[in-house]
Amino acid sequence: MEMKILERGTQFARPKITPNDFREWNRKNKPREMIDKVMDAKTAVKKFMKDGDIISISGCSFVRIPVAILHEVVRQGIKDLYVACGTRSIDVNFLTDNGLVSHLDPGYIIGLEVLGLPKMSRKIVEQAVTKGEITLTEWDNASMAWRHKAAAMGIPFMPVRHMMGSDTFKYSGAVKVQCPFTDEEVVLVPALFTDVALIHVHESDIYGNARITSGAIVEDWGKVRGSKRVILSTEKIVDTEDIRKESDRTFVPYFYVDAVVEAPYGSHPGNMPGMYYVDIEHLIEYRKACEDTTGKALKEYYNNYVFGVDSFEEYLEKIGGKKKLKFLEDLEFLKVKPGGFS
Amino acid sequence: MSEEYNVMELMTILASRDIEDKKIIYVGTGIPMLVTSLAQKARNLKITPIFEVGGIGPEMPTLPLSVACSRTTWRALRAADSAEAFEIAQAGFADYAFLGGAQIDKYGNLNSTVLGDYHAPKVRFPGSGGANAFASFAWKTMIIMNHEKRRFVEKTDYITSPGYLDGPGSREKVGLPPGTGPYKVYTTRGTFDFDEKTKRMRLFALNPKVTVEDVVENTGFELILPSKIKDNDPPSREELRILREEVDPYRIILGRGEA
Repeated sequence: MEMKILERGTQFARPKITPNDFREWNRKNKPREMIDKVMDAKTAVKKFMKDGDIISISGCSFVRIPVAILHEVVRQGIKDLYVACGTRSIDVNFLTDNGLVSHLDPGYIIGLEVLGLPKMSRKIVEQAVTKGEITLTEWDNASMAWRHKAAAMGIPFMPVRHMMGSDTFKYSGAVKVQCPFTDEEVVLVPALFTDVALIHVHESDIYGNARITSGAIVEDWGKVRGSKRVILSTEKIVDTEDIRKESDRTFVPYFYVDAVVEAPYGSHPGNMPGMYYVDIEHLIEYRKACEDTTGKALKEYYNNYVFGVDSFEEYLEKIGGKKKLKFLEDLEFLKVKPGGFS
Repeated sequence: MSEEYNVMELMTILASRDIEDKKIIYVGTGIPMLVTSLAQKARNLKITPIFEVGGIGPEMPTLPLSVACSRTTWRALRAADSAEAFEIAQAGFADYAFLGGAQIDKYGNLNSTVLGDYHAPKVRFPGSGGANAFASFAWKTMIIMNHEKRRFVEKTDYITSPGYLDGPGSREKVGLPPGTGPYKVYTTRGTFDFDEKTKRMRLFALNPKVTVEDVVENTGFELILPSKIKDNDPPSREELRILREEVDPYRIILGRGEA
């Protein structure tokens, strides 16, 4: 039986990074030695990111997102980014709001899920797409998860049994073929190898042996293991002895990781499962800034919280400091009642 | 006679009444979280919710704000990753999935991606999220939507998630797993199912104070109108109490029904 191509998505294109490119990269550029990779966010972004990179971002929506790193990307104005967007939200808005993106692979974009849809962020994306400043290849959360997974496996594509029949397929870069084993029609989604993965975790040692100690893993195994570079921010730096004691809890080993950035509360205003909950008040403040569709209020938001500060520590003071963070920790464990929904 | 309630409360309660016990339910963001949580709390069902980014069998002590937030893994049976969560569905474990959308057609095809031209959007929505895979893999897809003529259309601007596509046999023809598809649609005006032969949407039951004429007038395609149409019972005091006090006490989602 022959494997025939039955249909191609309109955005079909040769992948920018192939499995062999990735193998060669990992052979030449990833130290096998355990070396101290601790550095600050500014240095990590400067050293390991550049304009035009294909990037992925950890967590989902406003949960376990690497905000300390993203703020630095915005401050340094790393632009022309190609962004993997399975289950994305305010994290990618930080980039699109500031004109740093030239391509999106959605999944899910713009919305704050249950907390509503930020109007100005939506307008920015709509206008950029219409003007051709942002190009799109449409996917869904499952195909994005499997595209990251395929990259982690070092293979060129993954056969899947959804997307067919929909415009999600039509505007994608997938192909449909006849399965050489069963004769059934299956969709092949291309592996998504990235230049940089920006990942936030609970714990890591100085070498990048890292743990996610609570909450869903989202697509992050695939994101880390399918990326040429990994900038890892961590709530806490732990001893390698700790890691060795319970190696079954290790999320990824050191050799995938290029930079380890210590960033307590580094997911704020997002949730860090098992540590602190969503800063609802802050997300609503952001959404309200987006109500102003002249963009002025949103600009003020960034001037205040990102460009107006030098470091993430300074940002944490601005959003309410220790008192607010303690509240979010209590909220995570249902010790206090949430507020600020409207 | 029960007390006053809004359309969001009504749709949530009606959908939650139909969930069968001891099933696996894929829960997307928004109303599906209310429906699942209400079924657990008001009917004490032993259902297993799965969230697409990895939460399997959580207790959901409060309404999750995101499909990934810590409430979706609270006292859960497992915190997996997205690939695994979707693989479980692909392998045939997804009994129910709940979806919404901006537009729906007579075959239950849903649009949650774009209004107008894809490359020059009039309105861009967040996109599929987990919806396309849910609609492809779940044995029974349940849809919850505001019932307006501009949403119930002859042809959607875009098909994000497949319903019965062009009619009988077309899901199987394009290679989707057999035996799946839209099962019921809960709207602000009534409940709808799909005719076995034609796979077209059919009026199943009317919401309180809604007439057949109301429904027809607010639907942009020809509905199948059977000779017998049921009446949906209004929400009970107990259902409303649990929904308001235990499921969404801050009216984060329920509040939208007042708009």
